[in-house]
Amino acid sequence: MANQAEPIVELKHLSKTIRGKKILDDLNLQLYPGQVTGFLGPNGAGKTTTIRMMAGLMKPTSGEVFVAGKSVQNDFEAAMSNIGVIVENPEMYKYMTGYKNLVHFARMHKGVTKDRIMEVVRQVGLENRIHEKVGTYSLGMRQRLGLAQALLHNPKFLILDEPTNGLDPAGIREFRSYLRSLAEKAGVSIFVSSHLLSEIELMCDRIAVIQNGKLIDIREMKEDTRPHHYIEALPAKQLRAILESKGYEPAESGAGFIIEEGVQRIPELVKSVIAGGLDLYAVRPHRKTLEDEFIEMTGGGQIAEAVAK
Amino acid sequence: MLKLLQNEWMKLWNKKATWVMAILLVAGVAGMMGLTKWISTTEGNRAESGGVSVEGQADAQDWRMMAEAEREGIAAQLADPDLSSSREAELKEELQIVEYRLAEDVEPHGSYSRQQMIKDSSGIATFAMLFAIIVAAGIVATEFSDGTIKMLLARPVRRWKVLTSKFAATALFGALLTTVGFVVSIVMAYILFSPDGGTELAVTGGEVTEISAWVPAIYHLLLAFVNIIVYTTFAFMIGSVFRSGALAIGLSLFIFFTGSTVSALLSRYEIAKYLFFSHDLVAVAQGMTFLEDVTLPFAAAVLGAYAVVFLIVSYLVFSKRDVTA
Repeated sequence: MANQAEPIVELKHLSKTIRGKKILDDLNLQLYPGQVTGFLGPNGAGKTTTIRMMAGLMKPTSGEVFVAGKSVQNDFEAAMSNIGVIVENPEMYKYMTGYKNLVHFARMHKGVTKDRIMEVVRQVGLENRIHEKVGTYSLGMRQRLGLAQALLHNPKFLILDEPTNGLDPAGIREFRSYLRSLAEKAGVSIFVSSHLLSEIELMCDRIAVIQNGKLIDIREMKEDTRPHHYIEALPAKQLRAILESKGYEPAESGAGFIIEEGVQRIPELVKSVIAGGLDLYAVRPHRKTLEDEFIEMTGGGQIAEAVAK
Repeated sequence: MLKLLQNEWMKLWNKKATWVMAILLVAGVAGMMGLTKWISTTEGNRAESGGVSVEGQADAQDWRMMAEAEREGIAAQLADPDLSSSREAELKEELQIVEYRLAEDVEPHGSYSRQQMIKDSSGIATFAMLFAIIVAAGIVATEFSDGTIKMLLARPVRRWKVLTSKFAATALFGALLTTVGFVVSIVMAYILFSPDGGTELAVTGGEVTEISAWVPAIYHLLLAFVNIIVYTTFAFMIGSVFRSGALAIGLSLFIFFTGSTVSALLSRYEIAKYLFFSHDLVAVAQGMTFLEDVTLPFAAAVLGAYAVVFLIVSYLVFSKRDVTA
């Protein structure tokens, strides 16, 4: 890791077995102040279980979660006072107003004043509707209220499970920039799980990938800057032969191939494709998306084992 | 901790259902008193049309006849050689009072007098119990079914504290309903019924003394409240363990309504004495339990033991549970 700072959150040898089935197996992870870490994994990989253990909702079979040096398992109240949580859809008390919901949660923390509540309400943009019942709120407004309750006590660590569920595109964008500023200005460490890979890609500094209860990869975003190109020509067999003869390792992608190549040798490659009598359909720079990487990482068992550290 | 209780109280009263229950309680108690008044007037009319004057002499003879019948009944029971010593003591006290009435010409309160209504006002506990059970059953279960439990427990507050605040809110709600029901009942007694010249008697220290109707009223109300707490604790436990308010309400009310029948069926067996639904403390105090050898301290001890077990189960399950809802 490129971070010199002390981690604010540490997951140490976290394991969970439910009815003889190993859901999580010896998970170790560090999260740093000011960083947004994305948490990815296929369904059933153990994401929700991990998050619930961090939030004190589930007890690990073995291992511990430390937040600001305090163990969630053994020093619950001290550890939890540094955590803000939004677990899946923020379920609020629908029969009370948004404001009363916040007062309710504020009473469970030390030192959250009325002024602080109103400050958070303004930050999430709910001041016009805060005195209406939550039952009348749209999903997007409930997400905002969910964020507000998680921020009341100025937590050093924020856990978000599928946070942009139900937000419209403008809302997602606003939410994203808000989280980024929380991390950058207030130094909050943020842990986000999401299925929306493109979201994670835009929001996170780092991603952690989990599969079958094991952490298979942690990587900094934007570290992979090797240029790629996508090339499509028929017949595909001949194209592959040409690419291989030029020393590339063509990766099949749709009807064409992806090769690791910048712009320098592309004109030469195109010429030889034409000269070979092939019908060239497309050549374009290719940027690997997080989705590609995610599928690549979790797609096959062998890959998972090869990457596992 | 007080803040947590404040939270539970706020959530409780922000629900419409709570207000509906409170209104039903007031309406129910007032309605029962009204009904009693109506019955008393129709009985009065019948007596009048029968040509017997209602007030005065006829009444005086009535209570004397009843008291003598009662004396004979008690004497017959005392003749039973299998009588337990505790029951014998109770009967002897009752006999002492009846004989005192006849000897000193001390009239008891009439069935429809204001004093009698005050004395019987612990009957409102049935209403209070019904609504307290509904609240106790739902207070934990609805947090799970609404999904709010995740928000509630991912806080720097240990789980036992959360559960304690919920139990305290339930008990407080039960106490409030009991008090409100009692006050309504008393107000209606003053509005609808007129006092009579009767006197309430009790045996204290071997002597028959005159007491106010308020004494048995408050005493029975407190005993009824103990019963309410035991039933609500049961509903609270079922709601916490099975996370289903409907199940908890159904089971608690089922036991509440069928419990006395079941324990009557089992009354020949020793086990009946150790079931929590066998003991209505007000009935025990009035010597109206059909179980042998059951004294008030015994019944109270059985109920107390059950309440403690119910609470232990609730706390263990609630604080150990993995929240997956």
